Amino acid sequence: MKPAVRLILASVLCALAFWSWGLFFPAPQKVIGKHLAKLARLATFSRTDGNIKRLADTERLGSLLAGNVHVVLDAPGFRGETFDNREELLQAVLAARSQVKDLQTQFTGIGIHVSPDKKSAEAFLTVMAKAGGEPDPIIEPLKFTFQNTNDDWLITGIETVRTLR
Amino acid sequence: MPGETSSAGFWYWLRVLTIGRRPKRTLLRLAVLVVASVVVFKFVLLPIRVTGLSMEPSFHNRAVNFINRLAYMSEPPQRGDVVGIRMSTNMDGPLQVMLLKRLVGLPGETIAFSGGQLLVNGEPQEEPYLKLRSNWNERGRRLGSNEYFFVGDNRSMPPEQHEHGVAYRSQIVGRVLFKGRQPDR
Repeated sequence: MKPAVRLILASVLCALAFWSWGLFFPAPQKVIGKHLAKLARLATFSRTDGNIKRLADTERLGSLLAGNVHVVLDAPGFRGETFDNREELLQAVLAARSQVKDLQTQFTGIGIHVSPDKKSAEAFLTVMAKAGGEPDPIIEPLKFTFQNTNDDWLITGIETVRTLR
Repeated sequence: MPGETSSAGFWYWLRVLTIGRRPKRTLLRLAVLVVASVVVFKFVLLPIRVTGLSMEPSFHNRAVNFINRLAYMSEPPQRGDVVGIRMSTNMDGPLQVMLLKRLVGLPGETIAFSGGQLLVNGEPQEEPYLKLRSNWNERGRRLGSNEYFFVGDNRSMPPEQHEHGVAYRSQIVGRVLFKGRQPDR
């Protein structure tokens, strides 16, 4: 085999190994980014969704949350609502889904910071949520806290962030 | 034949109208225009759409405007300027969403509200742009050397429902290009 062909083969193998490593051992930022994208997808629903899909989506949403997830919504428009565990939050999500028929949820400007020991992480983003029938979206900066448990990243906290202090 | 001549003339003039007499030069102009537009509207004049009522009546909900990022290259922000403020959760990322507020407090000043009146260092301020007044009462806040105080023009809503307060200089993206509704004289 010619040296040039060997070199090309070796390069291809190296690239393949690098890609496989990223696929099987993804960086925490990538895993958290995927979780957030999934969360935005699950928080989007339309009036055509059946009850079974709504329940299944809520359950899948619950799989992203830690049991002791703590949520604080304290911003103009919210009245300092807090949720202290997953069940309480999922009940509120189900109640909201029965009241709001359509919701488009989008996360923008996502910044993820993983702690040096890679056991916890924080994600800062802006949520844009547009409910059906409402002319304007709700825009709110949020902070998510993640904990690395059993090789998966679960959401342990969600809180609104004030841009103006 | 006359028919063919007029048809050829039509296509010639259509080509001249759409791509000009020198297509290469037109293409070059088009490329320059596209590049210039991308640079201007991505880095200098950021197009925005106002969402919400907090800047009424100066800036109406759903109005379109631009944020001039070069406004504070040669001069510091001034009291009364309406500026775009970067969300605190997105200090490094792309600017997709920002707050639009009026700057009312400069570094080192103490800002308070008494019966709806804005006080700067204890002095009542004239705010000609204000049409929807409030009865807000807020204790004085002294601003740091790099801090500015922002509030919307629609003070008819309760203060807890109206986002206002302090942001750092680094959060100011630029000044709004079209100044909105001017005060009645």
